[in-house]
Amino acid sequence: MDDATSKSFDHPYTVLGEDPSLVIPPAESRQRPTKVYFGILTSTVFLLSLAGLIVRENPNRAENSIPAAGTAIPESSQDNVRFLPVGEAEGVSAKSYPSTRGRLSFNWTAADFAWQRTSYHFQPEKNWMNDPDGPLFHLGWYHLFYQYNPDSAIWGNITWGHAVSRDMIHWLYLPLAMVPDHWYDIDGVWTGSATILPNGTIIVLYTGDTNEAVQVQNLAYPSNLSDPLLLDWVKYSDNPVITPPTGIETDEFRDPTTAWTGPNGTWYVLVGSRLNTTIGVALVYETLDFKNYTLLDHPLHTVDGTGMWECIDFYPISTNSSVGLDNSATGPEVKHVLKASLDNLKLDYYAIGTYDEGNVTWTPDDPEMDVGIGLQVDYGRYYASKTFYDQNKGRRILWGWVNETDADYDDLAKGWASVQTIPRVVTYDSLTGTNILQWPVEEIESLRLNSTEFEDVFVEAGSLVPLDIGNATQLDISVEFEIESTQALEESMLGETESQLECSVADNRTTLGPFGLAVLADESLSELTPIFFRLVKSNGTLKTLFCVDETRSSKATEVFKEIYGTVVPVLDGEKFTMRILVDHSIVESFAQAGRRVITSRVYPTEAIFDKAKLFLFNNATDLNVTAAIKIWQMNSADIHPFPLY
Amino acid sequence: MKISLNILLSLIFLFPLPLLSPLLPSSSTPNDNAIVSLIDQTCKRTPYEDLCISSLTSNPNRSRAAGVKELAGMVLDSVLLNATDTLAFTRLLIDRTIDPEVERPLDYCAELYIPVVKFTVPQGRDAFYRGQYKFAEYCLTDAARQADACEKMLPGSAVSPMGDRNRIFQQLCSVAVAIIDILSKDQ
Repeated sequence: MDDATSKSFDHPYTVLGEDPSLVIPPAESRQRPTKVYFGILTSTVFLLSLAGLIVRENPNRAENSIPAAGTAIPESSQDNVRFLPVGEAEGVSAKSYPSTRGRLSFNWTAADFAWQRTSYHFQPEKNWMNDPDGPLFHLGWYHLFYQYNPDSAIWGNITWGHAVSRDMIHWLYLPLAMVPDHWYDIDGVWTGSATILPNGTIIVLYTGDTNEAVQVQNLAYPSNLSDPLLLDWVKYSDNPVITPPTGIETDEFRDPTTAWTGPNGTWYVLVGSRLNTTIGVALVYETLDFKNYTLLDHPLHTVDGTGMWECIDFYPISTNSSVGLDNSATGPEVKHVLKASLDNLKLDYYAIGTYDEGNVTWTPDDPEMDVGIGLQVDYGRYYASKTFYDQNKGRRILWGWVNETDADYDDLAKGWASVQTIPRVVTYDSLTGTNILQWPVEEIESLRLNSTEFEDVFVEAGSLVPLDIGNATQLDISVEFEIESTQALEESMLGETESQLECSVADNRTTLGPFGLAVLADESLSELTPIFFRLVKSNGTLKTLFCVDETRSSKATEVFKEIYGTVVPVLDGEKFTMRILVDHSIVESFAQAGRRVITSRVYPTEAIFDKAKLFLFNNATDLNVTAAIKIWQMNSADIHPFPLY
Repeated sequence: MKISLNILLSLIFLFPLPLLSPLLPSSSTPNDNAIVSLIDQTCKRTPYEDLCISSLTSNPNRSRAAGVKELAGMVLDSVLLNATDTLAFTRLLIDRTIDPEVERPLDYCAELYIPVVKFTVPQGRDAFYRGQYKFAEYCLTDAARQADACEKMLPGSAVSPMGDRNRIFQQLCSVAVAIIDILSKDQ
């Protein structure tokens, strides 16, 4: 078991003495005055009881299960509203903002709030941010624009914020790129995309909300293409270039995509909308000069029952290589991904399919896994994602907006809201053939400081292993779990009844799970965020659930505490692997090399600063696992204003 | 007439000297002394004085150096030249090697130097001439970081195929930053 190359794991660990079957203590134990000793953890226990002390979000959600089109949405849609409904007063002041849940806010200190700020994820210095916009690479710099409210920590007065980076990790803030200053965007400079033309020209198409709250599409471009910082932008004098066509609601028509080429020099652009209120639709516009557009008489694709499609993204992906493709690429070994942000659910869905260049239509490979009814881009707190082709390194890069899950009044008190994920490289999963893979850009490795490695850690059923690594709030973790062969397990499970495919809470012990890591956990486990696999017998075979359980992430009552999860394919011979980026109040978890991803926001009150710890755990009743884990401490990305003068 | 000859002779000896001065070796002109002095004094205020001096004195434009600003421009030219040379040299090494173990870090280094030569240093120089000194310094620091990343992938400079090129480049960047700093402070 000892391995000379790794930190030898010589801490014995045992199950809690009182009840050998419990790794998690009953609720009452939290009130025991004795400070439980740690050192070699044995005494820690998870709460067993669901009743009593734990205040639950949405107790009606019997669907701790993994719904195909799940609602991990809080009861009030106010909290992750991208834009206020037309006609409603905007720019509500802090004083008049109603308490959305009627629960008392935790008594946060300034230090608590400061801790919540991420150290290596992109976020503005203050105030509200939402959708990423027009990401691109130009003259040595990666650019990120984003929906930004310069005046408040809640949505409103939306502008395009702007930041640049040489490596998509070390960002530098620049002045606002676009503000609402024309009638056609006076109510908001909303989401848009950039297209880089073959001659190097950059054009941006974005949605403007007009003085009459009509959604139109506008053209903008850099005033000086040879400025590597693209500081100044010009809006086309004859905006808008696209207005809502007849038959389309004027407030359900937005988020133009990056354009791609068709035959004879034409370009195509998609704008999202809905038909008959329930049919999500990708409308296609054709143009030669980006100033004059024709609506095609048929959409690229529609899906019944999915509602309004926001932030559509449409891009080619290579099926036989991990190289990224320009938006106009086509070919026999090219498939196309169509993605939409469902306004009804505030979730991002995608499907892989085939693009018919002749008809300008797209068909999913599997109609049962069509856009909006199949796979999600990310199974956690994640929305409005957008990709771009990084011509610098030949990659397809994915950005995603991660809203807060605390209360709006918390955001106003702390003065900021929202972060972006670490940008991810998107490739086709040629092993499954049914999904994309997402992986943090390798540039993130430049933040790695020292690492600690544990090999051959035997984590028997019902045990908890503390990992002594020092600081546990800024981490890059890679872990793999080995179990006895699934075939053997399946045989031994022959007699077992089938179970519901549900993550459930980490303290719910089933035969083959959960096992994983507990991040942002304090020593007494009064707060913790378990990230785990749970194997469940379903439809005659073993399925693997990948889950993040926020229910005990914080003692604060006004924050959302979801259980996020999804089935993840684990192929023959594969170990169960996770990569986890911990960065204060955001955790990004990747299963099976990015086959499924869950982004999570947590706001611990105790497990912060040097009190945050990391644990391995195995709460299964009848399964032992062996873990190999490598943990890097992560440096800050030192995101700051661009040093010009 | 006899008297004026003496005066004439002394005048001939005295006056031609200033007229002949441009034809004499430059190291002995007052203007050049001023430049040498400027270079010395400026380089004293950089972390690598000798490198600074040798880089500046070998610059063909040094006679136009009226002040620190011109020196900064000259060092920036050196930085670009150095990076361009290093990239070319690295590519040569890649062409000549057949051992993949040797080639891999060289490929990595070339990848790092390409944007340095193509974007980083030229943009730093442009920023400098626009008076955006901090932007210029950011570029130089970033360029030095790439050289550092390259160096970390190679065996130590005694056996490294790139010798001490990365180290020299980083030092040159430091010198450039230091001189720009002088300008910022003296403003």
